[in-house]
Order: sequence, then C-alpha cells, then structure tokens
Amino acid sequence: MEELTRGTNLEIERPLQSMGSAPEETSSADLVVGVLGESDPNTVAKMCDELRTVPGPLRIAVLHDDRQEGPAPVISETTEGRAFVFLVSSLLPKSDVSATGLPSMSETYQSVFAAAEKLQARGCCIMASKLESTTPPWAWRIAQPLFDSQADLVLPHYARRKFEGLLNASILAPMMRALYGKRVNNPMGPDIGVSQRLFQKMLAAKTTGNQLNSLASLTPTALCQNLQIIEVNFGARIYPPTDWSNLSSVLAEVLSPVFLDMERYAPFWQRTRVSLPLPVVGEPFPLDQDSPAMDTRDMVESFQLGNRELQEIWGLVLPPASLFELRKLSRLPVEHFRLPDELWVRIVYDFALAHRLRTISRDHLLRSMTPLYLGWVASYVHDLTLAGAMSPAHRLESLSLAYEAGKSYLVSRWRWPDRFNP
Amino acid sequence: MWEQVKQALVASTTRFLTRFANFLPGLVALILALLVSAVLAWILAAIVRRVLASFHFDERLGGWGFSSLAEWSPMKSPTRLISRSVGALVMVSGFLIGIAAFDFDWTYLFVQKMFAYIPDVLAALIVLFVGNVLARFLGRSVLIGAVNLNLQYARFLSVVVKWIVIVLAFAMALEHLRIAPGIVELAFGILFGGIVLTLALAVGLNSRDLIAKSVGRDVEKASSEAVEDPLRHL
Repeated sequence: MEELTRGTNLEIERPLQSMGSAPEETSSADLVVGVLGESDPNTVAKMCDELRTVPGPLRIAVLHDDRQEGPAPVISETTEGRAFVFLVSSLLPKSDVSATGLPSMSETYQSVFAAAEKLQARGCCIMASKLESTTPPWAWRIAQPLFDSQADLVLPHYARRKFEGLLNASILAPMMRALYGKRVNNPMGPDIGVSQRLFQKMLAAKTTGNQLNSLASLTPTALCQNLQIIEVNFGARIYPPTDWSNLSSVLAEVLSPVFLDMERYAPFWQRTRVSLPLPVVGEPFPLDQDSPAMDTRDMVESFQLGNRELQEIWGLVLPPASLFELRKLSRLPVEHFRLPDELWVRIVYDFALAHRLRTISRDHLLRSMTPLYLGWVASYVHDLTLAGAMSPAHRLESLSLAYEAGKSYLVSRWRWPDRFNP
Repeated sequence: MWEQVKQALVASTTRFLTRFANFLPGLVALILALLVSAVLAWILAAIVRRVLASFHFDERLGGWGFSSLAEWSPMKSPTRLISRSVGALVMVSGFLIGIAAFDFDWTYLFVQKMFAYIPDVLAALIVLFVGNVLARFLGRSVLIGAVNLNLQYARFLSVVVKWIVIVLAFAMALEHLRIAPGIVELAFGILFGGIVLTLALAVGLNSRDLIAKSVGRDVEKASSEAVEDPLRHL
C-alpha cells in the first residue's frame, strides 16, 4: 500500500507530525478527520473535544492545516474509556471550497485519503463546510456509520432552503438517481465519510492512471461497486454566495467529472431501471422556507440572449425538436416563462452525450449550457413563488421522476447517437 | 532561287523535327512521371486513409480541440482531407520531376525555383490553417463568454476577434509567400489599424447607449445582489 500513498501528495512523503503526543501513540489511527473549511483554532479544538466524548477505544487523528493563522488548537486531556484524539499537523493543499475549485478540492480529498492510508485508518471523514456553521457533533455523526453500520460511504442530507444547492438539485442529484438507481441527495457532499475499502480503491485508481475525481467520482464508484452508502440528516450548511460572473466555470468544473463518470460507468447505468431510497440516519432538521421575492428577469434575459446567439453551438448538441421548443420559450414574457422538466432533462442528457462524443471542445460545450441552466433556475423560482405553489420537495421529486422517465431517451441516444435523433 | 527556298525549307523542317525529337522523350517522361505519381499518390493516400481511420483520427481530432477542421474537410472527414493532400503532394512532385526531364535551361531553373518555393508554400498553408482554427476557437470562446456575461453585443465581439485573427494569419501567409511584401505590410497595417479604430469608435460613439445600458444594468444588478441574493448554486 506504500505505493498508493506515493505521489498523491508531497506532504504525505513527510512523516506526519503529531502535536503534543508521544510518537508511538500517534503512528496509527482508527479514524482520520480532515478539516478543510477555514476555521479558527478554537473551533477545531472544540470539535476535538467533542470527538473525545465518543465512547470506546478509538484513536482519532485530526488533520489540521498548520499554515492557518493563530495559535495551535489546544486539546484537553484524554478521559478513560473515551476516544483518544490527536492533532496531526499537515499541509493539505489549499482548496477553494467557497468558489469553483473542484479540481483543487479533489486533490485535497486525495491527500486526506493518502494520510488515512498512511495511518492505517479504518475510515476517514472530511469536513469541508465551515465548522462555525455546523451542528457540533457533525464529524462523529458522519463517521459513526462507518464503524457501527459498516458503511463504505456516508453522505450528508442537509436541511436545505428552497433556493440553495440549485446545481445539485437541478442536475447532480436527480441525474445520479436516474442513472445509478439510488436516491442520493448530495452526491458531492462535500462533508463525507469514507471507509478504508473505498479510499483504498480511490488511491489505487489514481496510481493506475484512472482519472477519477476524488470528490465527484466517490458516489458513482461506490454505487457501481455495490458498496454500502448511508445518508445522515444534517442541519443547514452555509452555502457560498453566488459569483454570477464565474457561474459558467462552476458549471464546467462540476459537470465535467460527472459526465466523465457517466462515460466510465455506462455499462452499469444502462442496466439500471428503477431507483431505491438509501438508508438514512437521524431525523430531518426542519427549516424555515420563507425567502424574499425573487426577480428572474436577468436570468430569463440571459436565456433569451443565449438562444439568440448560441444557436450554432446548441445546434451541434440538441436535436431539432428541442431547439424548436427553446425558440418558442424564448418568445414568452418573463412572468410566463417555464422550462418544462422533460425538455430540461433531454437537454442535460444531450449535453452529456455531446461531452462523450466530443462534438465540440468540452469546455465550450459546458460553458454554453449556462443560459439553459439559468432558464431552468428562473423556471424553478417561478414555480415555487407562485401563490399556492408546491413545496420544494414535491417540485424536485417531479423533476427526479422526469429524469427517470427520460432515461430511455438517454440510453437510445447513447447507444445510437447518429441513428436515434428525434 | 527555287533551290535556295527548297534548302531553307528542308533545313527548317530538319530543325523542327530535330527539336521535336529532342522534346519527345521529355514529353514521354513527363507523361510517365505523371502516371507513376498518380499510382503512387493513390497508394499513399489509401495507406494514409487506412492508418488514420484505424486509430479513429476524426474522433480524436475532435477531442484535441480541432473539431472545426471537419467542417472544412471533404465529406466532413479530416482523414480524407489529409489523405487527399498527401496524394496531391505526390502528384505535384511527379509533375515537377516530369518537367525536369526536358533538357532545357528554363525547365531546370523553373523546377529549381519551384522546389525552393515549396517550404514557403507549406509554411503559408500551415499558418493559414492554424490561424483559421485559432480564429474559430477564439471567436467561439469570446461568444460564449460574452453571452454568459449577458453582453448584448456578444456576436459583434466574437466576429471582431475572429476576423482580426484571420486577417493576421492571412497577412503572415502572404509574407511567407513573398507576394508583394511591402504592399502586404502596408495593407495589413492599414486594415488592422482600421479594425481597431472602428472598434474604438463603435464602442466610444455608436454603442455608447448600448454599453451604458449594459454597464448600468451590471451596476444595478451588483447593488441589488449586495442587498440580498438567496440563490445558491453549489
């Protein structure tokens, strides 16, 4: 396994340094906790204190970025019959969790996996959300199923306000559900728990040159290898604010690994027919769903501009029927604008196919999807802000069902891209 | 008198026939060279086509970012474009070899000059090709970027960028071909300067309202976002 850790992260080559503990006590761990979100040392210390209340003879290593400003976190003494927690000073690659940065996040996840391998841990969990925003025992909540239920992947199920996590709600979660047959709510975490078996597979894939994204590919890999996945109900997390000028980069960076995984696991998902719910731990956290009135004019105008100017690109990707429907939609007034779920699903599937066929440059392809995505967001906002509108959960469930219903379209186009063109 | 005319006629006929006899082997050699080169061109083109098709060159080319080349290729197949280019090159070489078979000074000089010119032609073709691909790629990048920034003049920006690159590539190709280099330089300077000046004037004067509207909307949007934007994408 030494091979697996080599080359994944330069810092892993260096001996991991424990703080305030004898070397023999910290040479191995049962659980490795990687803290990626920016947090002050006191918060990390508080999290460590909470981990120390975990019953049982567990050894928990907390990876802490010692480049962060401020004094090192202070940890209280160990208690008999409770977990032994120690800090490991590590220079994890800087990840920009707040913005696009998916490639750099992938590297960071890979580094945590390598550290866990080096410490011979039975599992690791990664906390990427801001710790200040988390419910205190999050780290253990996400790690517990790895030990108690022998889960291989623990995913969060955040309590979500209706206009949060829209990229996940519109594409990632429903498409993952339709493709792989499991109703995953947050396939890309980012707060996740990973078993030794799964992180070793991810490390091995990296050494064999398989271009897996350590974050985006975790869920598809676990699903396709029939590993056990459990969801844990969490409270709300603080989502990074929208950078409108950078939205197309976000879209390209997030969708690219998802579409690559679709290509990689095509033999698996073409066999899947129905979707099943995942086991969930904990009770859902209720949230206030009130939100201020939204102005969708800019988003609809962006859709209309895209429809006017990007026809030459969309024409290479979408079939004539979809283009015709989009042209009709672009003539609607803002208040009546609705992008039907069926059309949206076919658009996403057609873009996935064009990504596979490399119809045009992949970066151009994914960026040119931005006006369509904004059109969906505007449509979603309209649906939820109408008087007597359905709840977000019902709205997203109907979208998920549309993804499942449209899967036969995807399979046909995937198998016969030239022949099947409705 | 009649005898002299007869002698002149015989001498002229002899000269013509001698020259024709000297010319004939060259002509036969030219025809033979063309025939052999045609056969060679056909064989080489077939080999190149098969080799490229065996590793799915057309699909791979798309993956390397040259998908626009297909639009310029016969039957939308870059493999065919390359194989036919190889065939044409062999045919041209055969023609030049055939021409050189004529034992005349001017054919020798012509062939020598043609061979010396071939690297320039190839360089010009490469410059044109790369310039064209680059122009289309950059034009598309600018178009998508500008649409995503909600700029109403996205198409205009894209076309300007595309034509600037094409004009630049064309001027560079003519420079390589050594076709009236002074005039090309001057014309390019005037044309390029004209495009930039037109763009500046369009932005500064004619599109003032458009830009003011666009910038105004951005400012308005930024200020409204600063108040509250409940949308979260990631």
